[in-house]
Amino acid sequence: MTGVSAVRQVFGFFSFLGRKTGKTRAFAILGLIPVALAVVVRIVLHGRSGLMAAVFTEILMVFFLQFYIVILALFYGTSVTAEEVENRTLSYLITRPIPKPAIVLGKSAAYAVLMFAMVGVSLALSYFIMNAARLSDPDLYATFFRYLGVLGLGVLAYTAFFTFLGAVLKRAIIVGMVFGFGWENVIQYFPGSTQKLSIVHYLKSLLPYHPPSVGGGGGGRGVALLLFRLEPTAPLAAILILAVVTAGFLALACWVFRMKEYLYEE
Amino acid sequence: MATVREKGYTHWDGKLGERRFPWWPITRTGILLAFRKKRFKFIFAGAFIPSIVFLVGLYISERLDDFKAIIQGSDRLLNIDPKYFATYLTGDWLFFLIVLVLAYGAGGLIADDLKHNSLQLYFSRPLGKKDYLIGKMSVIAFFVLILTALPGLLLVVFKLVFAGSFKFFLQYPWLPLSVLGFSALLTVFFAFYVLLLSALSKNSRYVFVLTFGTYIFSTVLYGILNGIFRTPYMALFSIPANLRQAGAFIFGQKLPFAFPAVWSFAVLAGICVLAAAVLNRKIRSVEVIK
Amino acid sequence: MTAVIAASNLSKWYGNVLGLNDVSLEIEEGITGLLGPNGAGKSTFMKLITGQMKPAIGSVTVRGRKAWNDPGVYQGIGFCPEQDVFYEDVTGWEFVTGLLRFYGYSRTEIRERAARALDVVDLTADKDRLIRGYSRGMRQRVKFAQAVAHDPDILILDEPLSGLDPLGKRKLIKLIKDFKRQGRTVLVSSHVLPEIEALTSRVVLIHQGKILAQGDIPFIRELIEAHPHQISVRSSDPRALAARFVGDKSIQKMTFGADGRTLVVETHKRDAFFSRLTGVVLEAGIAVEEISSPDDNLQAVFEYLVGK
Repeated sequence: MTGVSAVRQVFGFFSFLGRKTGKTRAFAILGLIPVALAVVVRIVLHGRSGLMAAVFTEILMVFFLQFYIVILALFYGTSVTAEEVENRTLSYLITRPIPKPAIVLGKSAAYAVLMFAMVGVSLALSYFIMNAARLSDPDLYATFFRYLGVLGLGVLAYTAFFTFLGAVLKRAIIVGMVFGFGWENVIQYFPGSTQKLSIVHYLKSLLPYHPPSVGGGGGGRGVALLLFRLEPTAPLAAILILAVVTAGFLALACWVFRMKEYLYEE
Repeated sequence: MATVREKGYTHWDGKLGERRFPWWPITRTGILLAFRKKRFKFIFAGAFIPSIVFLVGLYISERLDDFKAIIQGSDRLLNIDPKYFATYLTGDWLFFLIVLVLAYGAGGLIADDLKHNSLQLYFSRPLGKKDYLIGKMSVIAFFVLILTALPGLLLVVFKLVFAGSFKFFLQYPWLPLSVLGFSALLTVFFAFYVLLLSALSKNSRYVFVLTFGTYIFSTVLYGILNGIFRTPYMALFSIPANLRQAGAFIFGQKLPFAFPAVWSFAVLAGICVLAAAVLNRKIRSVEVIK
Repeated sequence: MTAVIAASNLSKWYGNVLGLNDVSLEIEEGITGLLGPNGAGKSTFMKLITGQMKPAIGSVTVRGRKAWNDPGVYQGIGFCPEQDVFYEDVTGWEFVTGLLRFYGYSRTEIRERAARALDVVDLTADKDRLIRGYSRGMRQRVKFAQAVAHDPDILILDEPLSGLDPLGKRKLIKLIKDFKRQGRTVLVSSHVLPEIEALTSRVVLIHQGKILAQGDIPFIRELIEAHPHQISVRSSDPRALAARFVGDKSIQKMTFGADGRTLVVETHKRDAFFSRLTGVVLEAGIAVEEISSPDDNLQAVFEYLVGK
C-alpha cells in the first residue's frame, strides 16, 4: 500500500477502535463539566451577558486550554505507541504491508480527530449556553470559531509532542505529565523570551482578546487568570510556530518509530 | 482407593496453619514491586528533597517586588511553632509529591491484577476480600507514612535535640499526636483514592493519568467555580484544599478557608465511602463477561 | 529447493543476554517445526524473520528480502503471535476485517476474505461476539484467522497450539497441513514435542539461542553416531532371544521389560541387529509380537542433544 492510503486505513481502523473504548466515554463525560457549569452560571448570572462573556473567556477557557486539551493529548498522544507496546498488539500492526510512519500518522490523526470532536462539542455547548442571549450577534460566531481554532491547534501541537514522547520513552506519561502540568503551567509566567518555550504561550497569543497592557487584566477589570504576564507573539508567527512544532514532532515520532525496536516486557 | 506414589508425590494430610496477617504477603510484594521500577526509586528519593532553592532564587531576583512582603516578614518565617509543622505537612508540594509517588508506584496495584486476571489467584488462597484490600492499602500506607509521619516526627525530635531541652514539647505536647493524626488522615484518604482509581481500569497508564488528572482537575474546578461564584465553599471541590483545611483544624491553626472544617472532613470521608463501594463491587474472584 | 527463509550468522542480544547465537539456516517450502524449550530463542527467531526486531549481527531474508523496515515483504507473510492479546472490545469479525484493511483490498473483498478465514477456523457462528468472551481455543483460532485471511505464501506461527484442547489441536494441525498441501511454507514453533511430530518430520532444534540440529527426525537420529539405538522386541520368550545375542559385541546393553515379554536392546549397529534378528527368530522358533524403536522420536533426539 502507498503511504497516503496506508495512513487513511490506519486512521479508519483507530477511529473505529477509539470511539468504542470506555476511556473515550470517560473523557467525553469530563468535557461535559464545563457544559454543566455553563448551565449553572447561566441560571445564576441570568441577564448579565457581559459578565457571562467574561466568565467564559477568563475562567472556562482555563479549563479547556490548561487542563482538558492537555490531559486528552497526554493520554491519547502517548497511547499512539505506548498502548501498542503495553498491550502487545504492536505485532499485529508492524507485520502488515504498511510503512511504519503510516501507523504513527494514521493513529495520531485518528486520535486528534476524536479529541477535537470532544473538545468541539464541549466548547460549542458551553459557549452558546453562556452566550444564549447574543445568538444574533455575528461577532459571537467569529469569536467561537477563533476559540475552536486555538483549541484545535492546541490539540494538534500537544498530540504531536506527546506522540513523540511516547515513541521515544518507556514511561512517557510521567515526563508528559511533568511537561503538561508542570513546565507549561510555570514557564508561561516567566519574563521575556522564556515564556516562548511553551506551547500554551502561542495558543494564548491567538486568543480573541488581549490585555490593554502587558501584565494587566483581560476582557475588562478583574482577574485575568489566562493572560497573566502574557507577552503575546504575533498571531501569524504563533500559528507558524505551532504548525512547525506539530509537523516537527510528528516527523521525529515517525522517524523514531521506524528505527526503534519495541520489546515487550516479560 | 488408588494413590499416586510415582515421582515421590504423596497426598498431604496435615492441617493448614492460619497466618496471623494473611494480607502481609500482598503488602510486602506490592512494596518490592514498586521499588523494582527504575524511576520510582528516583521519584521516591526526590519526594524527600524540598524545592530547588537556586531556581527559586533566580525567579525571586526577577520578581523582587512580589517577594518583598515575604522578606519583610522573615523573622516570622523562622518562628518554630505548630504552624511550621502544619505548613510542612499541608504544603501543596508535599501533596503533589505524594500523588506522584503513588500514581507511579501504586497505580497498578489493582489495575495490574485486573489486567492479568490475578484476582482468581488471590481468592483461590485462604484470603478474603478484606485481606486483599488491607494488603493493597498497606502498600500505600507505607509510602504515605514514610513521607509524612516519619519526617514530621523526626522534625519534632530534631527540634528538641537542637534546642537541648523539652521546653518545646511541654509547650505543645499534642503536636506529635497532630502529626500522627494528620498523617493517618492522609494515609486513609490516599489509600482509598488511589485504589478507587486503580480499580477503574486495567491500564496502569490510564490510572496514572486518572490519578493525576483528578487531583489537578479538582484544583482547576475550584479555581473556575471560585472565579464564578466567589465563595470559599467552592474549595470543597478541591482535594488539596480539603486536605489543607482538615490539616489546619488538626494542628489547631487558622483555617485557610472561611467555612467549618467539618465540611472538608465530610468531603474526604465521602470520597472514601464511594471508593469502598466501588472496590467492593470491582473486587470479585469471578469475572463476569457479558 | 530454494530457501524461502534464509538466516546467515544471525545473532541477537537483549542487553547482556544472548537471545540468538550465530544462527545460519535455510527453511524450504513445506512445514518446518521449530522446536525448543521455553527461552530457547524460538520467538526471537520468529520476530527477526518477521521484521519485528533488527538483527544485531548477520541477516535474515524472506524470499531474498530483509524484513526489517520493508513493509512490502508482509504482503506474503502471515504471522500468528504467541501472546494471547487483542484489541479491546472488538468482535472476531471486526478484528479480522480491521486488520485486512491494511492490504489494500476493497470493502467487498475484505468481507469475503474475513468470512472465508473465520469459516476455515470454525468461528462463523461466533464472529459477532466480543473476543474477550471467547474461550482460549477460540481466541487462538481467531489469531490464526487474521494470519491467513490475506492468503499469504508464508505462515509464521508462534506456538499456535498453545492452550488448545485435544480437539482444537487436531483441527488446527489439520488446517496447517492443508496449508502445506496448497503449496505454502509454514514455520511453526512449539516446545511440545508430540505437537511438532504430528505436524512435520522436518525440524529445527534450538536450545539456548543455538541451532542444535536441522533436518528430518530419522535423519537427525542417524547422525547421532555416539548414541546407541534402542530397539524393543516383544516376544513369547525374550530370555531365549537375549541368550542368542549375548555374545554379539555390537550390543551395548540388554534389559527386560516389566511385562516380562519385552527385550530392550541398545546397539550402535541397528541395521546389522535387524538382519541378525530375522535369522535368530527363525532359527529359535520364537514368536515375535512387536518390534519398535523407543528412542526414534523427537523427545529422545532432543534430550540427547541437549544433554539431559
